[in-house]
Amino acid sequence: MKKALAFGLLAALTAVGARADSYPQRPITMVVPFAAGGPTDIVARIVADPMSKALGQQVVIENVTGAGGTTGITRAAQAAPDGYTIMMGHMGTHGAAPALFKGLKYDPATSFDPIGMAAGTPIVIVAKKAFPAPDLKSFVEAVKAGGASINQAHAGVGSVSHSTGVLFDSQIGAKPTLVVYRGTGPALNDLMAGQVDFMTDQIVNVATQITGGTIKAYAVATPERNPSLPDVPTTKEAGLPGYEVSAWNAVFAPKGLPEDVRKKLIDALDAALKDPTASKRIIELGGTVPKGNEAGPAALQKLVESEVARWTPVLRSAVESNP
Amino acid sequence: MPDLLSNLSLGFSVALSLQNVALCFLGCLVGTLIGVLPGVGPIATIAMLLPITFGLDPVGALIMLAGIYYGAQYGGSTTAILVNIPGEATSVVTTLDGHQMARQGRAGIALGTAAIASFFAGTVATVLIAALGAPLTKLALIFGPAEYFALMVMGLAFAVVLAHGSVLKAVAMIFVGVLFAAVGTDLETGQERMTFGFAFLTDGVDFSVLAMGLFGIAEILRNLDQTETRDVVRARIGRLLPGLADLKQATPATLRGTAIGAILGILPGNGAVLGPFAAYTIEKKLAKDPRRFGRGAIEGVAGPESANNAGAQTAFIPLLTLGIPPNAVMALMVGAMTIHGIVPGPGVMTKNPNLFWGMIASMWIGNLMLLIINLPLVGVWVRLLKVPYRLMFPAILMFCSVGIYSINSLPTDVMLIGFFGLMGYILIKFGFEPAPLLLGFVLGKLMEEYLRRSLTLSRGDLMVFLERPISAVLFIVAFAILAAALLPSLRKGRDEVFTEA
Amino acid sequence: MDAPLDGTSARRGPVRAPQSLVAGLGLIGLGLFGVWASSDLDYGSLRAIGPGLMPFWLSVGVGICGLALAVAGFTHDGHPLQSVSLRGPLVITLAVLAFAVTIRPFALGGVSTPGLGLIVAGPLAIVIAGYAGTEARFLELLTLALFLTAGCMLLFGDMLNLPIPIFPTAVVQAMTGVLPARTLLRIAAGVMALVGSGLLLVQRRSSRREPIEVARHSLTT
Repeated sequence: MKKALAFGLLAALTAVGARADSYPQRPITMVVPFAAGGPTDIVARIVADPMSKALGQQVVIENVTGAGGTTGITRAAQAAPDGYTIMMGHMGTHGAAPALFKGLKYDPATSFDPIGMAAGTPIVIVAKKAFPAPDLKSFVEAVKAGGASINQAHAGVGSVSHSTGVLFDSQIGAKPTLVVYRGTGPALNDLMAGQVDFMTDQIVNVATQITGGTIKAYAVATPERNPSLPDVPTTKEAGLPGYEVSAWNAVFAPKGLPEDVRKKLIDALDAALKDPTASKRIIELGGTVPKGNEAGPAALQKLVESEVARWTPVLRSAVESNP
Repeated sequence: MPDLLSNLSLGFSVALSLQNVALCFLGCLVGTLIGVLPGVGPIATIAMLLPITFGLDPVGALIMLAGIYYGAQYGGSTTAILVNIPGEATSVVTTLDGHQMARQGRAGIALGTAAIASFFAGTVATVLIAALGAPLTKLALIFGPAEYFALMVMGLAFAVVLAHGSVLKAVAMIFVGVLFAAVGTDLETGQERMTFGFAFLTDGVDFSVLAMGLFGIAEILRNLDQTETRDVVRARIGRLLPGLADLKQATPATLRGTAIGAILGILPGNGAVLGPFAAYTIEKKLAKDPRRFGRGAIEGVAGPESANNAGAQTAFIPLLTLGIPPNAVMALMVGAMTIHGIVPGPGVMTKNPNLFWGMIASMWIGNLMLLIINLPLVGVWVRLLKVPYRLMFPAILMFCSVGIYSINSLPTDVMLIGFFGLMGYILIKFGFEPAPLLLGFVLGKLMEEYLRRSLTLSRGDLMVFLERPISAVLFIVAFAILAAALLPSLRKGRDEVFTEA
Repeated sequence: MDAPLDGTSARRGPVRAPQSLVAGLGLIGLGLFGVWASSDLDYGSLRAIGPGLMPFWLSVGVGICGLALAVAGFTHDGHPLQSVSLRGPLVITLAVLAFAVTIRPFALGGVSTPGLGLIVAGPLAIVIAGYAGTEARFLELLTLALFLTAGCMLLFGDMLNLPIPIFPTAVVQAMTGVLPARTLLRIAAGVMALVGSGLLLVQRRSSRREPIEVARHSLTT
């Protein structure tokens, strides 16, 4: 113990000499509004590692869960805008939340300084193995014709599979019966067993089941095919060009960062996304790394605004029409 | 068979490398030490320790993680036995007789029995995974929402048997537990239920919060009332490890527990949670003198503990073969694997045979490590009981607070353990037992979901529960259990239904 | 829930099992409360069960159990009411609350507590909780608090690197750029352990009480 103390004092003395005013001087907390181990947490941990290297201070993940992610984002939004608290937002917290949570204490478009997009996690339309339709076009026809006799699974109100699923229904004009699950896992289980007919979800959640042949995929909802599912056509190729949707993860900071801090964070995220291991891992997860005009704070701000505008009407009507 | 042997030898060649054995040991050790802290259950332990595996190669990381998992689980059982605080749903049952044994000065025997029963169950389950993992997944897909609903109803019937006091009070507690489970945002409609506008209730009550309050804090309050008995308990510490007679008594229970736990663990819909309850019920029904249960019966530790560990192990089957995490701990494991670039699912076995078989082999090594680590530690844990209670309970209280805070970083969670502690204290004072409440809470949430889902899929037809053979059988078993629990006391003088059995 | 304090009620009058009666009445109250709390929710239909159906029937179930227990209180002999002490529950609740509001800034209405971190919240919880028992000794509790908190700081803050606030927010800001957070943590833990050891010596010398086995608790030494 004495040794530790002596060492500590020594370290203290040397540190005092090296005092500087430049950011960052202590570890940075990145609030992840979902539980450890979920897709957002994974993206955050993948990005936090190279960001720590770029900033010279550790980026520590703090999982603050609750209310579809809005608990954690609310807390982070109210933190001091000093760059020591940042957050990993996603499609739900910064796109769908205003439609789903009436008393939301933040505005996705105005309460934050956007830092940049971290990863896109594209959506894929999957169905049970025995579903007769051979391609997306006939699948859409079958779902439309089947009406309430078709069962569509989703992972709970406000989940990615729910938002993207009701968007799909409203675009093709179908009204299937919604079967609700707690999380993707159990929904996937019943899809494999053929209890439900189809669902839409992030590629990372269903890729191994698709390649393993236990469920079938009709299309990925991105402009380009996904490297982890090279045989699955895009919605555009398969004849449903309007359905392009991706769950995304992006880094935000509380509004009002000092300019130099903001710039350092933007650069750190940029460096992190250029880190080969980080980008490789994101791609392995079926995700996409933002590049060119998708990256950076301005693009993110625009995305948030367009997402809020897109989800609000779809989700409001879906939640209200719910029996 | 030759396939199995070559696969296993591949697995052991991976798992037995010096680095991996060391990692497995380290994982088990750290998992045990963190998991033993009151207030820190396996989920919290794994979430806390997850980051330390990041720097390792995938195989090593997963082996260490598996070690942490077993360690945390075993550490949780230790806390359940020593201080009557269950770290997760499945160790609720261990508190019933395990803690009674500790109070009688047989803590060492309880801990030793738990370790040995777990090791045996782990060994059997590992072989089962290696030999039958792939074919068994078919069983998983037979179970639809209707079957799971029936399974949960059966689980609640077990909960009645679990209580050793008045049956009526146990039923009331189960209802209260299921009612508590309904608090929070409704999954299907997104509407808030019984949250009274409190933001911290929108996600409902966390299991650990409820368990920590009803068991941890309430237990402190109860002990503070009875100064004398508490110190007598401390003074008597018997033999440290179970003797031959103890083991002989525990063996049949271990065998049955292993079988039950292994089968239920395969179900991807969180079947493993039922294992310990089912094992306990069966032991109590088979016993010549069921009155010993709840008063320190060694079968009441061996059965559930082996079922728990077997289930914890076979729960890897749906994860590794279907890619479906059956419970919160496994969901965390998926996250951990994904961070290391491996998405569990049907492809893992063929794409990464090293990893797959290495991990299975390391499961067994991990179980062995646990035995090696924990038998000597039993002495340390038992000696902890000698610490004067006036110092023990403030320490427990602080660990509970830190542990609960670390799960979600929410101060309101810490406040809630105080609230549930008070509630638990009042319940004890009125002769209610907290265990059925907790069981109702765990199963209630699942039960409501499965019920609503089954009826959505059957378009409102209730016959679905009787038309499907498995579900019908499960319902019959549930009613048989209930009848068996209720009838004797009804016949033997009606008083027993209302007062102590 | 009101808790009667009289533990020696005689079995006279119509009430033969006071514990059953009061427990039953409590359950009836809980059931009614549940019915009220879920009354704003839709029951739905069998085809699409609404969020209100289960809570309603469960509350009814709780109420019926309560009714049966209450009736049993008149018809069957049973336990008297047990005495309930107030000191334990009050002090323990206070300790838990103290921890919750000091660990990080906690806002209630317009008032916000300063976030003081584990270094304050931990000892506060231990020392307050200690007074729930009748044998509390301040120095002894303080010693325990110092050792345990130092252990927890090292374990959670240093070794596991968990984002639990350790120091008061003000200290963190003041020390930014002066000392790395980890060094500060280690120094603080070291000082706490030293002070704790000092206290331990003082207590040993001043009386020949039973030795205090604090070190083993922390699991880190």
